[in-house]
Amino acid sequence: MTRPSARLRRLPATIALSVLLLAAVAVCAVAGGLIAPHALDQDIYTGTVGAGVDGHLLGTDKLGRDILQLSLAGARSALAGPLLVAAGSMLVGVLLGTVAGYRGGLLDQLVGRYADLVLALPAVLLAIVVAGLLGGGYWITVAVLVVLFSPSDVRLVRAAVIEQASRPYIESARVLGVRPARIMFRHLTPNIVPVVVANLLLNVAFALVALSSLSYLGLGVPPGAPDWGRQLADGRELLGDNPLAAIVPGLLIIATATAVNLLGDGVSEALDRKVAAR
Amino acid sequence: MNRGILAFAARRLGMTLVLLLVLSLLVYGLMFLAPGDVARNLLGTKNVTPEALAQIRAQYDLDEPFLVQYWHWAGHALAGDFGTSIRTGGPVGRMLLDRVGITAAISGLAFALAVLAGVPAGVAAALRRGRWADRLLVGGSVVGVSAPGFAVSLILLYVFAVGLGWFPIYGTGEGFLDGLWHLVLPSVALALGLGAFVVKLTRAAVVRELDQDYVTFARSRGLGRGTVLRIVLRNAAIPIVTSLGLMVGYLFGGTVLIEVTFALPGLGALLEDAVLFKDFPVVQALTVLVASVVSVTALLVDLAYLAIDPRVRNRTVRS
Amino acid sequence: MSAPLLAARDLRVTGPSGVLVAGLDLTVRHGETVAIVGESGSGKSMAVKALSGLLPAGVRASGEIELDGERVDPDGSAPGWRRIRGARVALLLQDPFTSLSPVHRCGEQIGWAVADRRRRADRVAALLAEVGLPADVAGRYPFELSGGMRQRVAIAAGLAAGPDLLIADEPTTALDVTTQREVLDLVAGLQAERRMGLILVTHDLRLARSRADRILVMYAGRLAEAGPAADVLRAPAHPYTARLAACDPPLGRRLATLPTIPGSVPQPFTVGDACPFAARCELAVDACRTAAPPAVEVAPGHLSACIRTAETTVPTPEPAAPAGAAAVAGEAALTVRGIAKRFRGTAALDGVDLDVGRGEAVAVVGESGSGKTTLARCVVGLETPDAGTVDVGGAPAGPRRVQIVFQDPYSALNPGMTVGASLAEALRAAGRPRSEVPELLDMVGLPAGYARRRPRALSGGERQRVAIARALAPRAGVLVCDEPVSALDVSVQAGVLNLLAGLRRDLGLTLLFITHDLAIARQVADRVYVMRRGAVVESGPAAGVLSAPSHPYTRRLLASLPAAD
Repeated sequence: MTRPSARLRRLPATIALSVLLLAAVAVCAVAGGLIAPHALDQDIYTGTVGAGVDGHLLGTDKLGRDILQLSLAGARSALAGPLLVAAGSMLVGVLLGTVAGYRGGLLDQLVGRYADLVLALPAVLLAIVVAGLLGGGYWITVAVLVVLFSPSDVRLVRAAVIEQASRPYIESARVLGVRPARIMFRHLTPNIVPVVVANLLLNVAFALVALSSLSYLGLGVPPGAPDWGRQLADGRELLGDNPLAAIVPGLLIIATATAVNLLGDGVSEALDRKVAAR
Repeated sequence: MNRGILAFAARRLGMTLVLLLVLSLLVYGLMFLAPGDVARNLLGTKNVTPEALAQIRAQYDLDEPFLVQYWHWAGHALAGDFGTSIRTGGPVGRMLLDRVGITAAISGLAFALAVLAGVPAGVAAALRRGRWADRLLVGGSVVGVSAPGFAVSLILLYVFAVGLGWFPIYGTGEGFLDGLWHLVLPSVALALGLGAFVVKLTRAAVVRELDQDYVTFARSRGLGRGTVLRIVLRNAAIPIVTSLGLMVGYLFGGTVLIEVTFALPGLGALLEDAVLFKDFPVVQALTVLVASVVSVTALLVDLAYLAIDPRVRNRTVRS
Repeated sequence: MSAPLLAARDLRVTGPSGVLVAGLDLTVRHGETVAIVGESGSGKSMAVKALSGLLPAGVRASGEIELDGERVDPDGSAPGWRRIRGARVALLLQDPFTSLSPVHRCGEQIGWAVADRRRRADRVAALLAEVGLPADVAGRYPFELSGGMRQRVAIAAGLAAGPDLLIADEPTTALDVTTQREVLDLVAGLQAERRMGLILVTHDLRLARSRADRILVMYAGRLAEAGPAADVLRAPAHPYTARLAACDPPLGRRLATLPTIPGSVPQPFTVGDACPFAARCELAVDACRTAAPPAVEVAPGHLSACIRTAETTVPTPEPAAPAGAAAVAGEAALTVRGIAKRFRGTAALDGVDLDVGRGEAVAVVGESGSGKTTLARCVVGLETPDAGTVDVGGAPAGPRRVQIVFQDPYSALNPGMTVGASLAEALRAAGRPRSEVPELLDMVGLPAGYARRRPRALSGGERQRVAIARALAPRAGVLVCDEPVSALDVSVQAGVLNLLAGLRRDLGLTLLFITHDLAIARQVADRVYVMRRGAVVESGPAAGVLSAPSHPYTRRLLASLPAAD
């Protein structure tokens, strides 16, 4: 056991680094056009060059595109999609999970069977099949992932709601005649926030991995768009000529997902402490 | 006693079969949801002529009602006949058989690596809670969980195959030992994320048990560290085994990307090809196969529960 | 005289937030029983954990510990402890449901501490016989046994290595009264046979008095008083002991007002250089607040950490007017007829009839599994009975006609809402104005400023008061209280019970009071129903049922209580 002060000083270091990295990714995602205006400029005459050649700090890919600029521009699809998937699936999870957990009945049964069905196949594999066969662009893929991610969120929220619903403060509200909608969304939802937030961040990281897996296989993002998964797929053939074409986006995916996960762990720890202090 | 367990197993098996039935129905239906005309899709790259279309419609019973078509397909599938591949024209069952070995080998190796390294590491971290070894392992497992298999694969390839030249870059190799040699990097890449997950959940399970009253009571009776650890592990094994079962699904998701990256002709690479080519019979067969493996594993985990948790066994026998 | 079995001097325990035990002296002789009595936060559990070298991570002990004259390092991770734990000192924990490994058979668990593998089976059989369990328990899992049997298995396991000193930390608190008695008798018998020293940690003064040779009273991590059991309780020298003893409600008679101690127990680390009890003590003078009082000997072997020991008197409460609170005869407030409820095939309620008159207070007493809580939940509509009817004031029970207060004060209130918001919501649901919030707080004896506080800034007793205020919001005539004080410290319980009595008097409230504690039932109720296995076995006026019971089960319940005064 370390002294509390020592722990306090150490904990924020990883969190601070994570926040810093995510802030940088967010800036690139929002202002990518300004930071990396030449991300998509092709130069087929140069082709692939290594790091430092012709002013390309990290070299180019086989279309002659600058790896640095391409990677900066790729931040957008690395952040927007995962955030949407996580938020969308958690929204479904909170709505359906709260109602299913508190009211039970037919809806609970239906939601439960749906979850059984979707969870019988790994999400990434299902996403490959559905997105691949149905086609459609990035946003359709995001929607498919929301559908595939939501059952586990519904289950999680449902379990947390059932755990809370037997507590005296909820039962008192029932006896007082407080309307069910109010009990669910004024009493239950705020008290499962720790679970929701921790899982939301976990889902962002997981969605980033899933979306970049899909684009690595050529699904989701249109060909030629800046995307880390795509870059990796293209860079696979360039390991000899310019390994950075694959290594840089690979490290970016790992670092971003790690930062989100660390942040999630930190947030849930902090919220747990807050709950314990009640 | 045994009656209760048999009844439970039978009920659980029935649920699994219903689940697979519904799932296969949905997978079969996916063919009709895909953009474009079904018959044209099924023709693939062959010339679209009225005769060819008519022949396809007859071959797949496309003029019959949906449920009848599904019934024919499911009947053949149960007999091992998954139809013919649109892309190659060969029987789908044969294709799966040819490729299942590599996938099973990578998955098996990765699973063994992840469990053999992950469980002891998780236990060690839990026993050193808060100290540097624990923090290192926890930090490492967060990175591992966050790293997609294909990104890890490319980095491993660059370092160990291109850079150091210790391992082959692509392919399957000749003979058993060389074959195994070719599977080392893919298995390690697949095992890394899985192993990180195993570390996390093992640590969580052991930490939870270490905080229980029965550990304090065992120590108060003067039991040695080894005995106490054995008691704790026996209790922690229950959640760990459950989660290991769930990971089988994760393995199949990951192996697609690994096989594509290392150009290994396994089921995962076959799935990628089939999806991109819209080779419906192959996709249907693969999806149902994976779902069967995952559901049967879940079934086995539930039965394993009975073996390792007397409380569950008791509840099952009584109900 | 030979060295005592255990001698601890200036034992200190320090946790992450500060001191938990601030210097405790303790001796136990062979064959002697010493009780450590204290409320929550007194440090009693931490003290005995330190004595068995089992403090949790982040908590350290210092001071001197001697076993049979031999010094022991107070640091629990010191190598010497391995030989001491089990073989010389064994610790028995409160909850028999969690102190055994759920997935190992009982015989195996008892056998772990038997060093000789070949003789294990014989030793386990002998130990099981010693704790009065049949031999086949060895092959069963803990979840297959009742609470009392599990605690017996734990005792057998604790004795397996033959300790000289047994430390029992609230060993019967999680058990029903009838089982409590049996387990305590067993421990006493084993102690006499084996000539063990016994440290009995408890919050229950009455239990301590009936079982211990000597008593140590702890308050906020410090020793308040120590001495022979008879002296400490007959002539308490510390005001806290005197007041605490008075708070324990008597079973024999009903009091008009239960003695209370104002305020609540402070955390040990918030007490500076002062007497920890000064803030709640009516004898406190300036000197009490500027220096920690030393323990002085008031009689041979009787110590008290108080500078005004001489003035300590035992408060004498006045008995209630014989008539009790007036119930409006004839007018029914609550009528329950033939109510039945089954859970997964087991009958929780099996045809229960119950009548409560307007303004009357009725207690339902019973052990766990008696169905008393299910009855309360059916009355307020949280469970739907399978059969039978619940009428309130002559009409079927509807929304907001009956309100309820639950046991656990810590989850009674939404942690995210202020007290005011919780009360305002209750008022709104009943169609009453928000402006009544201060009035509600006033009714339960809390200042209006509490409306802005969040539950975590409130003590257990205060939370329970807010829960009562919330239940009063709809002005329902009937209030159901499901063990409302059993999670509170003894010194706080009485205040809540007095509040309920006052509300009954002032508002004409009708009370249905669910409790396992017969003495509390005696104080609260005009009439009593005794429940067992889902049925009422006896009912009648509280004085009659609890002093001259007619049903054998009620008699057994009463006989199980620790000897009354």
